[in-house]
Amino acid sequence: MTKKAFMLVAAGLLFSQSALAHPDNNELRYDPEAMAWLCAPCHGTNGREFGESMPGLAGLDADYFIEVMQQFKRGERAAVIMDRVAKGFTDDEIAAMAQWFAAQPKTQWTGELNHD
Amino acid sequence: MTNSTFNQPINRRTLIKTFGAAALAGTGLFGASHKAYATNAQHVVVIGGGIGGATFAKYLRFAHDDVKITVIEPNDHYITCLRTNDVMVNLHTLDELTFSYDTLRNQYGIGFVFDSATAVDFDRKIVRTAKGDEIKYDKLVMSPGIDFRFEDYEGHSAELANTQLPHAYKAGPQTLMLRDQFQSMKQGGVFVMSAPAGNFRCPPGPYERISLFAEWMQKHNPTGKIIILDPKNSHSKFTPFQTAWQRLYGYGTDDSLIDWVSLDQGGRVTGIDAANKTLFSDGGPVKYDACNIIPNQRAGKIAQTLGLTDDSGWCPINRHTFESTIQQDVYVLGDSSIADAMPKSGNAANTQAKVCARAIAAELRGEEQPAAIFANVCYSLVGSNYGISISAIYEVVDNRIVAKGESSGVSPITDLPGQPILEATYQKNWHRAFVKDVFG
Repeated sequence: MTKKAFMLVAAGLLFSQSALAHPDNNELRYDPEAMAWLCAPCHGTNGREFGESMPGLAGLDADYFIEVMQQFKRGERAAVIMDRVAKGFTDDEIAAMAQWFAAQPKTQWTGELNHD
Repeated sequence: MTNSTFNQPINRRTLIKTFGAAALAGTGLFGASHKAYATNAQHVVVIGGGIGGATFAKYLRFAHDDVKITVIEPNDHYITCLRTNDVMVNLHTLDELTFSYDTLRNQYGIGFVFDSATAVDFDRKIVRTAKGDEIKYDKLVMSPGIDFRFEDYEGHSAELANTQLPHAYKAGPQTLMLRDQFQSMKQGGVFVMSAPAGNFRCPPGPYERISLFAEWMQKHNPTGKIIILDPKNSHSKFTPFQTAWQRLYGYGTDDSLIDWVSLDQGGRVTGIDAANKTLFSDGGPVKYDACNIIPNQRAGKIAQTLGLTDDSGWCPINRHTFESTIQQDVYVLGDSSIADAMPKSGNAANTQAKVCARAIAAELRGEEQPAAIFANVCYSLVGSNYGISISAIYEVVDNRIVAKGESSGVSPITDLPGQPILEATYQKNWHRAFVKDVFG
């Protein structure tokens, strides 16, 4: 599957989950980018830092991101801090962040302005 | 600011020329973007290039590439307060905590005026600087940090802090003064810290400081002792700290390096006699060989001067935007703001700055205000290889910032031997990623 096709499928999945969680409101309360920016202090601007204990989030497969975050949230994965952090997000919000990070270039942040 | 540069469309060629001229003349070129912004671009002025101000400027550029951004900052570099506790026990140097604004200036097209903001005319929307410039703004943002309530301690003053009794709670000369006083203390000497009450910057900061001091003393002054006098009966990360002190420093035994005196035990400090090396507390006088009063605090001086504080000494704000509820088009974020459940930390200021940047970008575009979401992650080193943490995601409910979901919590106490060293490693990774998120 091409990346674009995957994104479309994933976006459809996201929409249907939202509809389930919020029967009266299909839209997320928080912008995916606004949520993703909260990860930057540890994972770098746009998720593009890599350290010995800090995985980069940019370009991460969306399904993998969701699976790991759900394991943290349910306490099924050994954690230092992410078990606490993951409990701050709904399933829809986790899925939205997964999409946002999957679309980021997975190169180390160099301080360049990431706008065209 | 009456500067014709404002009214000229800037292309890359004139930008380079003007930058050169501005550098030579020592005057600022304001808001030069890497892209030429429109002639009628709105001007967002930031007072202070600390964690909050620098993050805001960078992320406003992400949120809006057609806006002029100018930071007014006295120095061409910034020394972070975070990790200054390391400096006092030789784990870091101040140089390693010093950052330039080069990336923000050169790659984000953020203008810097290296000058002090001295006054604001809210009606005409003009900031005045110490060198006499007048800078016109559409939106004014500040993150002015903290000021100290020396008046809460009889015999104490800002002058005394600068010359003899460093608080070392802002980075700079006082950091090095306290390091030298602590490390040159006589063998078997007593180091006494007075912790602050109320809301203050970096709630675990005082306790991390004495923890790292205890580790240093184990090696270099093993018969010395640390007393912490506290005007509170609990403090940030209380159980993780006390457990770590038991594990590392004999806390709770006769040989403990650390003695913590709570409010109920007479820990509140009311005055000092520096000549006789004595602190006065509710529990009586306490003699010291070296001492560190971290005073009670309030919003940064400029926020007070501009009338942006309320009776609490801090700045009331709209929780979704960080716009002052006292002055329209003026935004106060970071330590100075009243942010309810959020601690006064660099990480908190960083995510508040991002919320503020999105809010201002939306308003300048005439879009609906986005809902605010924040985070805080804060690691403390109880030893150089023993970390503990507190973290939460935050949202606004009933006009108050509260922890979101079940996200709020401190490090669990476990028997896993790897946990504390992992937290310490996470702390080091956080620090590297964080300063790059702010300044680069």
